[in-house]
Amino acid sequence: MEWSVGDDSSRYSAALGEEDGRVRISTLSHDGVDMDPPDVVVVRDEKQGRLRVEVDGRPRLAHVAKSGDAWWIHMDGHTHVVHCHEQGSSGPSTSEGSLSAPMPGTILEMLVKQGQRVREGQALLVMEAMKMEHRIQAPKAGEVTKVHYEQGERVDMGSVLIEIGD
Amino acid sequence: MLPDWMRESPRPFATVLVANRGEIAVRVLQAAREAGLGGIAVFSDADANSLHVEVADQAVHLSGDTLDQTYLNGDAIIEAAKGCGAEAIHPGYGFLSERADFARAVEAAGLVWIGPPGEAIETMGDKVSARLLMIDSGVPVIPGEEMAVEEDADHLGVLASAAARVGYPLLLKASAGGGGKGMRSVREPRALRAEYEAAAREAAAAFGDGTIYIERLLTGARHVEIQVLCDRHGGAIHLNERDCSVQRRFQKIIEEAPSPAVSPEIRKAMGEAAVTAARSVGYIGAGTVEFLLSGNGQFHFMEMNTRLQVEHPVTELTTGIDLVQKQFEVAAGLPLGMDQPEVKQSGHAIEARIYAEDPNRGFLPSTGRLVMWQAPVGPGIRVDSGVRQGDEVTIDFDPMLAKLIVHAPDRHAAIRRLDTALADFVALGVQTNIGFLRSLAAHHAFQSGGADTEFLANATPEEISGPDADRGTLVAIAAAAQRLGLNRAQADPADGAVDEHTGHPGDPFRTLRRPFP
Repeated sequence: MEWSVGDDSSRYSAALGEEDGRVRISTLSHDGVDMDPPDVVVVRDEKQGRLRVEVDGRPRLAHVAKSGDAWWIHMDGHTHVVHCHEQGSSGPSTSEGSLSAPMPGTILEMLVKQGQRVREGQALLVMEAMKMEHRIQAPKAGEVTKVHYEQGERVDMGSVLIEIGD
Repeated sequence: MLPDWMRESPRPFATVLVANRGEIAVRVLQAAREAGLGGIAVFSDADANSLHVEVADQAVHLSGDTLDQTYLNGDAIIEAAKGCGAEAIHPGYGFLSERADFARAVEAAGLVWIGPPGEAIETMGDKVSARLLMIDSGVPVIPGEEMAVEEDADHLGVLASAAARVGYPLLLKASAGGGGKGMRSVREPRALRAEYEAAAREAAAAFGDGTIYIERLLTGARHVEIQVLCDRHGGAIHLNERDCSVQRRFQKIIEEAPSPAVSPEIRKAMGEAAVTAARSVGYIGAGTVEFLLSGNGQFHFMEMNTRLQVEHPVTELTTGIDLVQKQFEVAAGLPLGMDQPEVKQSGHAIEARIYAEDPNRGFLPSTGRLVMWQAPVGPGIRVDSGVRQGDEVTIDFDPMLAKLIVHAPDRHAAIRRLDTALADFVALGVQTNIGFLRSLAAHHAFQSGGADTEFLANATPEEISGPDADRGTLVAIAAAAQRLGLNRAQADPADGAVDEHTGHPGDPFRTLRRPFP
């Protein structure tokens, strides 16, 4: 099992040890490089969905829940997402230069055509979600090599909308 | 059977249908039950298992796939009310709440409309006619062009010359607008066309009317609004101000009462202007008059919202007046029963809107299942929520999940209470703005009470993002949770564990998967 934190795609691997229900991290590596494991001990709490976590010997409570492949963690008043991945699986499938839908919604207007050159930050299309319009901008300058959707189509989050070559 | 308080009413009703969904439907349905009234919900397919359906005495299904067929379908809603014996309709906010034709149709069907007269909605709903009426009534307005650019015509030339007369930066506003929809700021002429088209489209989609007008964008101003209450007997009072300056793209995020920028003199002048505005339009019920307050103490009328507002709880907590109950009483023809000097102001209240959105991705709406949802509890903490644990958050509706409202003796105590309550708010499975709200509340501009409407637009991302957690620690916790099998425990909610809310097993409300009510 490998892990990534939040929107960052770099991978972590961890080995755990368990003694009397106290789970401790024994080794940790980040993108294949070993690092000092943090001093963290995790114990199950009576309350469902909650863990007792000792960081550097200081106890606190963390609420945790799994949704899909992600562990959601609420601790010290902040929420975090840790994704788990099968060992050796590839990173995010979107290839360099492609622009995927940042949210599910409907394409209101496609502002560019295949073959058109765009500059970084140029508006490519307008999407609607939750009754608000959002303008999707070019992440880099280049030529539009492929437009995957038309006006009026509904897209899921992560669908590749437009591909931009150099 | 009529509740006691309605015995003297000339227009009594025993059952209310709430033509809305989400937190406001829950709020009004709970108020109806408290008032001894029956409460009927309406729901679309997507809301069949929603919280507002659960808290209602009865719920009527609205069939159809679009909002026009469901929550915006006035005929179907009136039919639903008649079919189940409801005698009054409360529209909540949004949807049909500011549709004059719907207000008239409700009354024409022999039902009590819990809202202002159709004519008041119409006059104030059209921002152009509202401006003209305010000018006539002596209420100061923002400099602008009362020129309406009609939809579906090439009026870009007219628009450009009007924009040049008003001057940049300017605001394009939907004439029928509200809630930030159909509103765009334009800082330079070359952005005018694109912003106009987006505003007109948003306005047409949200309000069925794409008419846009132009207003000067006042910089360094605060958004301060006055809550008014009017009855059918000539009684009209105001319930002080709310400050809603902290906005992002014209969506209010944090609202508070009283405003840190309003002196007793400004409060009195603004309150009187608001009552004048309400009287001039023959207002009845609860409404809000919005002003822009400049640094020099001058204020200008922006618009009147002829409905209950999202941020009404901060007024309720500081005045002790239940606005929904007052709406019921006024609709039933009862007098307000209080005069202006009786309106009290106690302590400080702040509301923070909890949105399903990802601050790290430009606040794009976030969807998913709320695998854990634990709202904070404690003295001075109120949560008006439209969702509960296990609910699916979809793109079909507004991304506001809930409102957290805190009340404390003074502003500093209220900010501390807000931060503590936000820290205790557990919402997992969907990205929310809770962490962002904490950063906002901690920001010196907000703490000092100096945040104006451009505060968020000018704040750097570093100023409003939270601290970075140690990733190794988070990986350790996730890996340990996996090892301890917490994902499996969660998959079986109906196990025999002790109920976490009541502390004993077999609680009758356990199957509802939430505390009563």
